[in-house]
Amino acid sequence: MDPGDPGPCGDAAGSIRERTIAENSLVVLLQGLQGHVTTVELRDESTARGRVLSVDAFMNIRLEDVVFQDRRGRTVHLQQLFVTGRNVRYVHVPDRVDILQTVQNQLARIHRVRNFASHGGGRREFCRNAK
Amino acid sequence: MVLLKNIHPPTEGVRHEQAATTAVLDGQRLGCGTLYVAETRLSWFDGSGLGFSLEYPSIGLHAISRDVSAYPQEHLYVMVNGKLSGENEAEMAEKGAGDDGNDSGGSSDGDDDDDEGMITEIRFVPTDKTSLESMFSAMCECQALHPDPDDEDSDNDFEGEEYDVEEAGSEHGHADIPTFYTCDEGLSALTQEGQATLERLEGMLAQSVSQQYHMAGVRTEETKAEFEEGMEVDAAAMEAGQFEDADVEH
Repeated sequence: MDPGDPGPCGDAAGSIRERTIAENSLVVLLQGLQGHVTTVELRDESTARGRVLSVDAFMNIRLEDVVFQDRRGRTVHLQQLFVTGRNVRYVHVPDRVDILQTVQNQLARIHRVRNFASHGGGRREFCRNAK
Repeated sequence: MVLLKNIHPPTEGVRHEQAATTAVLDGQRLGCGTLYVAETRLSWFDGSGLGFSLEYPSIGLHAISRDVSAYPQEHLYVMVNGKLSGENEAEMAEKGAGDDGNDSGGSSDGDDDDDEGMITEIRFVPTDKTSLESMFSAMCECQALHPDPDDEDSDNDFEGEEYDVEEAGSEHGHADIPTFYTCDEGLSALTQEGQATLERLEGMLAQSVSQQYHMAGVRTEETKAEFEEGMEVDAAAMEAGQFEDADVEH
C-alpha cells in the first residue's frame, strides 16, 4: 500500500494515533508482514492462511486469497478476508522473515513520515507560540 | 424467524448501500432486501419494515466468498460473535426447543465477550456480484472505526502531540511547550489568518535574513494592518535602517 495512504486499512502511515499505538507495540511486526503469506489463528481456533494485505494498529488484518478452515475442520477458499483484531489469537511469522529487521524497518517508516518536516524536507514547522 | 420489526434504515454515514441482496442467517434464507453498510452499524431490510442490524464490535470477521463449491453463490460472509441479541434473543428462546440445528437458549447477551464460542453466520448474496468488493471494503472501513474497547493489553490512550516536545523545545530554546504539527498535518490546521501569516512570514524570510536585525521594533500584531495591502507595501517598509531608531528593549 502507498505509505501516504491514510485509509483505515492502511499501515504505518495511518492516523497519528495509529502510528503512536503501532510504534509502541509489536503490531509493527505484523504490519511488516504485508505481502507475506502466513497463517492467522483465530480465537475460536479456526485458521486463515493467505497473503497479508494490511494490518492496522488495532490488529485488524486483511488477507487475500485465503484458505479458511473453520473450527470444525471444513475448509473454504475466500477471496478476501478481514478479521478483527479482537478475534485474532496468533499470527504466524514466516520462518524466512527477519523479525528484528522487520520491526526496525517499520519503525523507520513511521519516523520518516513523522519527521519529514524536521529533517529539512519541506517547509519548517510553524511554531504557534512565536516570540 | 429472527427479524426485528419497525426499525428504519440508517440515513447518515452510509458508506455503501446494496439493493437486491438476499440475507441468509445461519442457513435460513430471509428474503431479498437492501444491505446498508453504515458507520454506526450494519443493517439489512427487506423493504417491508422487517430487518436486522449488527453492531460492528460484534462482528468477528467478514469475507468475500467466490468458492461456489463451498456455497453455490458468490456472497459476502459475515461472522458474528454470539447470537443476535435483543428481540431476536427472546424470539429464539421461545422457539429454541423446536428448532433444528440451532444453538439458541445457550448464551445470554449476544454482545458478551465470552459467549462460549457461539457464532452467527450471515451471508449477504447480492444480485450484482461485481459489488462484492465495494461491500467488503466499506465494511472494512466501518469496522476500523470501532476498535475493541475491551483491549486491555495495549495502552491506546495516545491522544495529543506526536513529537517528543521537550526534546524539540530544548533544541529550539523555547520556554513554553508549544503544539507542533508535522508539515503535512500543520498546513491543514492553519486558519485563514494563520495561512496569511505563514505566507507573509515566509515572504519576509525569503527577502533577506540580514534585515531581521533591523526588525527589532516590529511586532507581528501591530504590523499586520500594514501588510494587508499586499507584499509590495512590505518590500517598501523593509528597507534597511528604517527601524534603527526604534527601541530594541521590550
